[in-house]
Amino acid sequence: MDGVFDQLLTTAFLATFIRSTVPLLLTALGGLFSERSGVVNIALDGLIIFGALAGAVSTKLLEPSLGAAAPWAGWLFGMLVGGLIAWIHAVLSIKYRANQVISGTAINLLASGVPAVLLTALYGVSNESPKVERALPLWGVAELRFSPPVYFAFLAVAVTWYVMYRTPFGLRLRATGEQPGAAASMGVNVSRMRYSAVILSGVLAGTAGVFLSIGNLDSYVRNISAGGGFIALAALIFGQWKPLGVLAATLLFGLLQALSIVLGGNDILPPTLMQALPYLITILALIFTGRSRAPKALGTPYGG
Amino acid sequence: MTHVSHSRPSGDAARIALIACAVAIAGMLLAPLATLGRGFSADAILLHISGSVMNLSSSQDAPVHPTAAVLALAWATLASLVATVAGAVTRQRWFWLTGLLAFALAVAAVFTLGGALNDEINRISADTALRPGAKRQLRNFYSSGGMNLGLFLPALAGLIAAGAGLSQFSRAWAALNRLRGLLVPAAAIGLAVLVGAVVVLIVQPAVNESGLPLTFWNGWMAKADLVYFVYSTLFAPVTAFGPLLDSLKIATPLIFTGLSVAFAFRTGLFNIGAPGQLTMGAIGAMLVGVYGPSGLGWGLLPLSVLAAAAGGALWGAIPGLLKARFGSSEVINTIMLNYVASSIFVFMIGSESFPFLGRTYTQPFKAQGSNPQSELLQEGSRLPPLLDLLNVGGSGQRTVSIGLLVAAVVFFAGRLLLRGRKYGALIAGVAAAVLAAVTWRIGIPVDVTGSRLNGSFLIALACVALFGTLMWRTATGYALRAVGLSPRAAEYGGISVARGTILAMTIAGAFAGLAGTHYVNGGALNEYRLTLNTPVNVGFDGIAVALMGQSTPAGVVASSVLFGTIDTGSINVQQKLDKVSNDIVTILKALIVLFIAAGGFLSRRVTDPPPPPLVAETDRTGKPEQASLDSSAAHLERSTPLPNVGQSSEQIKREGDK
Repeated sequence: MDGVFDQLLTTAFLATFIRSTVPLLLTALGGLFSERSGVVNIALDGLIIFGALAGAVSTKLLEPSLGAAAPWAGWLFGMLVGGLIAWIHAVLSIKYRANQVISGTAINLLASGVPAVLLTALYGVSNESPKVERALPLWGVAELRFSPPVYFAFLAVAVTWYVMYRTPFGLRLRATGEQPGAAASMGVNVSRMRYSAVILSGVLAGTAGVFLSIGNLDSYVRNISAGGGFIALAALIFGQWKPLGVLAATLLFGLLQALSIVLGGNDILPPTLMQALPYLITILALIFTGRSRAPKALGTPYGG
Repeated sequence: MTHVSHSRPSGDAARIALIACAVAIAGMLLAPLATLGRGFSADAILLHISGSVMNLSSSQDAPVHPTAAVLALAWATLASLVATVAGAVTRQRWFWLTGLLAFALAVAAVFTLGGALNDEINRISADTALRPGAKRQLRNFYSSGGMNLGLFLPALAGLIAAGAGLSQFSRAWAALNRLRGLLVPAAAIGLAVLVGAVVVLIVQPAVNESGLPLTFWNGWMAKADLVYFVYSTLFAPVTAFGPLLDSLKIATPLIFTGLSVAFAFRTGLFNIGAPGQLTMGAIGAMLVGVYGPSGLGWGLLPLSVLAAAAGGALWGAIPGLLKARFGSSEVINTIMLNYVASSIFVFMIGSESFPFLGRTYTQPFKAQGSNPQSELLQEGSRLPPLLDLLNVGGSGQRTVSIGLLVAAVVFFAGRLLLRGRKYGALIAGVAAAVLAAVTWRIGIPVDVTGSRLNGSFLIALACVALFGTLMWRTATGYALRAVGLSPRAAEYGGISVARGTILAMTIAGAFAGLAGTHYVNGGALNEYRLTLNTPVNVGFDGIAVALMGQSTPAGVVASSVLFGTIDTGSINVQQKLDKVSNDIVTILKALIVLFIAAGGFLSRRVTDPPPPPLVAETDRTGKPEQASLDSSAAHLERSTPLPNVGQSSEQIKREGDK
């Protein structure tokens, strides 16, 4: 057993830990904006997939002409596509008063079909994109070298906290999620706040996808998110819809994922069962979350 | 109903007819009218309404038979469509007639064309100079021909216009109003088909095997034909017996998972855990089927089926319990449990051995050999293929009993005749059973071999009946539906929301778990065992099935068969077109869910149309606010519920949901 602890005290493990945390963190922050404005966003997992796909494919297509700038353009496209798909969810749940869980599920179902059709049309294979020549650069020292979205993610926590609690936009956003009627009576445009929050969540989840496809790997592969969007959603609940709570929760889930990766290579538990660990802990975490402090208007359409 | 004689079609009805007919006219002018023949890779000879023929197929010398009659009928169709448009613009009373005429003329054109193509096929069969191979190829070439967008759209638009126009009469309006639950699913399918067509147009270049360069017009015709080809191939399996059986085979697990999602839905819960529940059900069925006592013989089968239900029920009960006890969201928990179930699944049959606390153990459930699969099930726990089950001919002879079909027809006819009578359903049921027993020995010979449609289809139908009875004929079902409609009101009325939540999720899980019997006991994947390539993701299709069926048992069956059909057809599409993969069907299903969530983008005036007396009174006074209904019409209006389960009509929220 000593060998296991030695493995956990290395910088390699720290790197794995951070790489597992970042997509969850970015996605959960995106979810934070959306749900704080009162729109349930179960589409996060699909948004990660769309972001990852757009990042990998656009980088591959732009490489010949843009060279070193291609992955950055890929990141931009990943964010744009994430935001665009989130906009669909926003239109359905805000304008057409769709059941937000069903609308989000529809996006997730789309994310299981669109990549295969697109990749078949472009490259003739359905489950992965060809490897990009240039992925996002790695910054850092020795083994702790990460691609830019990693630094962006931790920066985003601070920015999110500031925006949420120190700017008029944040105040209006929180009011929209708690009491849309009251917010509207104070002159806040509820549906515009919700649109911007949901699109922002798509941009952040898209970034998480870009990190997975060209920041961590160098291509899009089928099922790249591995349910990360749902775990991020659970982390959002576990973190009680607060930026710092979300940071703590995603660090916990990231640690568990890293553990299941490292321990999977050991002979303590069957590796296939170890893979279930983060999901089981997610269920447990939801049990032990105290009575909820969810935004009061979460899941309810406004006006119309 | 005193104002009937004054009524005209409402403005919205006229507008619907107008749009449908205008689209159809554009379709007739801008898309091919018919396909006169089609080669293997979707290359075709196309006929336009102007009479020009475009040969884009690989067989340039294929003779083209005279099509004057078809063209004449097509022009007549076009004329009646134009008349309908004119009638609809001015809200005339008669435009339903011209609409119906357009439909009839289009159908007549289709039959005329079919006759001409048949003549060609007969001529080829009689031609002794042809080699057998060439004969078959040419026969296929002509039998793949038929109508195209230019005849399909007018037929559809004619029907829509006729329906919209007829809604001016109170009786027709009432009949149509009873069907309005179909409106949102139909609109959703229509929109999904439209978006899917755009996807096909983008990803697949025009098929041109003629070797000649395409002009812009020809290119457009080929593209339009492509769209028609993709959809006609997707929906083709319903038209032949063998492919229909394949569709029903694929539909079987969809019925189970659709019922699962629908059952939870009726209780206000969203079950995204059908894949995990299906997995656990399949594992349960395998454990009993392989390791159960062999002395039981056929007695093992019911035990194995029950184990499948129990496995799924367990996997559904967990999130139900967590929701009831701790208020944690069933949406997230069911998704998490999908991953856990998949881990257990891979653990059990994925590899020969596994490490545990430093030592290595052999995995007892995996069969010897390189394939990730369990041992074969014992003979006694296998579900026979449905055709064997219904076979009443001697050995070596396939004669399918008509007993079940007779029973179904008698039951529904009896229900219709005895509507409103006491014990009507019971009498119909008994009559159906008696007649089925009498006609059981009568069979129709069929020549279909290798169909994997199996006994689990009958289990699925039994589950459909169980769903309907439980939900609408028992106190438990009443309580569950009350919880679904308004948890707080139900709690106030003395119904335990917690108990309802657990019960609903358990039963939903059991339905999904039974889908495992299709793969394990029924051998749908060619072997009677649990294999790693079980397509557990059909659990997600259950969501689309339940939504399209609007969470009713009959709707679930109908949409399962529809999805089974396009799943079967998509394999043909993938074979014939190089850029379109069968995942296009996944996109179609997702789009259907998306559009149902948006209510098909239909306005309230379409889904909830004003009755004819109201329209007539509005027309007379010109003041819609002052129009009112007499009491019987108002009662009828109130008693038809609003359609679409996918939209949030009111706030349904449970205390402490997280």
